[in-house]
Amino acid sequence: MSPPAQTAAPVASRFGTFALVFGIAFAILYVVCDMAALPMFTYHPGTDRIDLGYAPARRDEGPAMYWYGWIANSALGAGILGGLAALLPEKIRRKFPMALCWVVPVALLPVLFYSLKFYWRW
Amino acid sequence: MDFVLDYITVNTFWTILFMVHALLAVALLGALTHQAAAVLARPRPRAGTAGAAGGFVTRFRSVSGPAYATAVCVLWVLAFIVGGWIYAKYRIYVRIPIEQEGFYKTLGAFELKEHLTTIGLGLLPFYWYLWKNARNAAYDSARKWLTVVLAGICWYAFLAGHIVNNVRGFGL
Repeated sequence: MSPPAQTAAPVASRFGTFALVFGIAFAILYVVCDMAALPMFTYHPGTDRIDLGYAPARRDEGPAMYWYGWIANSALGAGILGGLAALLPEKIRRKFPMALCWVVPVALLPVLFYSLKFYWRW
Repeated sequence: MDFVLDYITVNTFWTILFMVHALLAVALLGALTHQAAAVLARPRPRAGTAGAAGGFVTRFRSVSGPAYATAVCVLWVLAFIVGGWIYAKYRIYVRIPIEQEGFYKTLGAFELKEHLTTIGLGLLPFYWYLWKNARNAAYDSARKWLTVVLAGICWYAFLAGHIVNNVRGFGL
């Protein structure tokens, strides 16, 4: 006979709270960084050059890449927010709605689609 | 990594890396699809039948979801790291020729892949947490739908990557 399933209240553990807030904040911050052009650094793959913050492509040196910088910024921000959330008292941590872990990415999909409107040429 | 180039050409090196990325993606796709099928339509045990009995579909969705969680996280991270490594070369040697050909929708589809897989990466710690507490019934809904969302992202990423590969091809 298998042991009964746990039904105790959810995201009570500090790691669970950190992981939930990190995931949600990371997704939102990533979209904000993308749409507002806020990379932590800019990578120029043609010359392996790295500039802090946003830097436009340099003449005759190929394109500039911001994706790595968006990830770094989002991870830093989400790590801080997740860490702060994990420090909250258990009574508050238990109130975090877990459904946000999948609702937020689904809700961000049309925003991302819109952010790429440059590419949807018919 | 330069010592590798003493033995193989630059093209071969990046091709191998791309193939590794693709194989990791296939493994991830399989694991997540099994897991998503298991949470969406778990077969009910019937009296007088063994657990693994049933047709292909029943067996496909009869997997133990928790057993896949760590593998999914590891595969996602590895595929992401290798993909992120290739991405710098893609930006110069793949994207620019596709831009010159005017295949903007293909590029847009690939950009969306890049965004979605990144968001998926950030959700992995909570996904892992939910599956490590698979016996907690209070997590069932979040675990189910997060798994389905990640499986959807994985399928989209796989197909978008495949399309870009078809458009650009190898060694052009």
